[in-house]
Amino acid sequence: MRASELLGKEVRDRDGTPVGVVTDLRCVQDGPPRGHLAALRVDALLISRAHSGTLLGYDRGRSQGPALLRAIVRRLHRGARTIDWDRVSRYDGDAVELDLSLGPVSPGD
Amino acid sequence: MKRLLGVALGVLTAIGGFVDIGDMVTNALVGARFGLSLAWATILGVLGICLYAEMSGRVAAVSGRPTFDLVRERLGPRAGLANLVASSLVTLLTFTAEIGGVALAFELATSVNYLLWVPLAGLAVWLVIWRVRFTVLENLFGLLGLALVVFGVAVWKLGPDWAGLLHQIVRPAKPAEEDWPTYFYYAVGLFGAAMTPYEVFFFSSGGIEERWTEKDLGTARANVFLGFPLGGLLSLAIAAAAMLVLMPHSIEVSTLGQVALPVAVAVGKIGVAVALLGFVAATFGAALETGLSCGYAVSQYFGWQWGKYVRPREAARFHLLVLLATITSVAVVLTTVDPITVTEYSVVFSAVALPLTYFPILVVANDPDYMGERVNGRLTNTLGTVFLGIVAIAAVAAIPLMLVTKAGQ
Amino acid sequence: MTAGRTLNLNLHLLDRQVVGPDDRLVCKVDDVELEPDESGRLVVTAILVGPRALGPRLGGRLGRWTAAIADRLAADRDAGPHRIDMRVVTEIGSAVRVDRTREDLAVAPLEQWVDEHVVRRIPGSRHESE
Repeated sequence: MRASELLGKEVRDRDGTPVGVVTDLRCVQDGPPRGHLAALRVDALLISRAHSGTLLGYDRGRSQGPALLRAIVRRLHRGARTIDWDRVSRYDGDAVELDLSLGPVSPGD
Repeated sequence: MKRLLGVALGVLTAIGGFVDIGDMVTNALVGARFGLSLAWATILGVLGICLYAEMSGRVAAVSGRPTFDLVRERLGPRAGLANLVASSLVTLLTFTAEIGGVALAFELATSVNYLLWVPLAGLAVWLVIWRVRFTVLENLFGLLGLALVVFGVAVWKLGPDWAGLLHQIVRPAKPAEEDWPTYFYYAVGLFGAAMTPYEVFFFSSGGIEERWTEKDLGTARANVFLGFPLGGLLSLAIAAAAMLVLMPHSIEVSTLGQVALPVAVAVGKIGVAVALLGFVAATFGAALETGLSCGYAVSQYFGWQWGKYVRPREAARFHLLVLLATITSVAVVLTTVDPITVTEYSVVFSAVALPLTYFPILVVANDPDYMGERVNGRLTNTLGTVFLGIVAIAAVAAIPLMLVTKAGQ
Repeated sequence: MTAGRTLNLNLHLLDRQVVGPDDRLVCKVDDVELEPDESGRLVVTAILVGPRALGPRLGGRLGRWTAAIADRLAADRDAGPHRIDMRVVTEIGSAVRVDRTREDLAVAPLEQWVDEHVVRRIPGSRHESE
């Protein structure tokens, strides 16, 4: 499959509640060597309520400037969270289904 | 010593290359109608382009990546494509204005109708892009553009009240017979003329054409912080000359000849010849830059090999783009649309497209993955954010102002 | 090898420039191919290139049209978009570096067409002007 089929897909928890969309796929370079590099394996989903695409890089936990832009992007994407890939029960349907209950995403997250 | 000469050459080239048809026409037009009461808009625009050109040059030198590559990478393919279409259309419009400008300059010099010069201008521009080395192309036309200093000479010879001029700049006063929407419409135009989007594409792509590395940052900064403001001074000189000669007689600028008129009055025939050389150099140089930029932007979005630093056969799609852009521009000017009108529209639409271009640059210039330690300092970020706000306001206001004032009538 | 390194596909891989061994520009990462391994984890197996890869990412009608037109024009309809296997990737940094040239990877048929039918016919196309 293609990464684009997962990115932007709606994510639902075990109860069927929509909890956001996939904004990124975190990978670790821990697979068996594939050519020059170790293979990249998907190990987590980054999801967010906002539908706008990439977080422009402001989600990396560093204080990347400029401050105003960082604040705006963080605000737009509040409620963004990282879900381990093990918690994904299904990803080939019309939504990504998780095997845990998250409840609605609250603003305080 | 050799390094100092190199820096001096770069600065001189930047000064002479700063002014294009948009700056010449808009500043003369505004000078004749508003005097120097809108000089603040030119100055603000020059500051803005210095800030963002430095950023895009630094990004190119440190990361090796040019502007449009990063626009798509940061904004994603969809927003990046919208950005590409808007920026490309504005750059193509500017290219058209520059080709028209070259033809008008030749008409002034030879009295042969400009329409006959248009295909020749297009062919010449394309040939130079095709065959002439990038550094020669840059330096030759930049240095020849220094001929526009004759406008400064003209202002000096007209013996103005210098204190009065300065007063007009620092305490702008809108002329009573003009209304506020028109005043701000031309402020937006001057802004767009100073900060045209193609300049940052060209500056960053040019940096990669010239193989800049971190060691070249000093030279790049000298070009920007010395060259651009002095080039902006030339713009102000054009406005001042128009104010001193045209305004008292209520002559409005609608032809290139009227832009040169103050020089004829103050310096005479030799002055006009020098001014014409400056016109040709400035418009031809800018035509080269905008033509190349049409190719740079699309190629960098799609990841195609671009540039003059490789054999044309290795960058076939890039060169086809430049060729198509040239043919399109020539065709548009040949429809007998007034090139001055095209120029006036190009600066306004440049203002509309500015936030699209500048926003990704500000983001990337802060990204340590690309910039390492050379990320923006706090001052640069503060100024950058402030200017982003200003260009956003100008972009939003541009079209309504244009409609309300019927394009500055 | 950088074992254990973390990266985000959208942020660090998608839409990055792919650069060949001679520092020549190859293409952009238009999409990425994922295949499940034995343990069910998705592995990044290839970079996907070209309008058939980029089209769906543009979304909406534009995306569908792009992909449809590209499918029509493609030499081999069933093969899918051009593919660069991850085993030729040597580095993922500000650009993605690969050990093959653009010609070897055969991901840019349009470039070849334009070169053959337009650029080659113009005198002076063989020498760089630098």
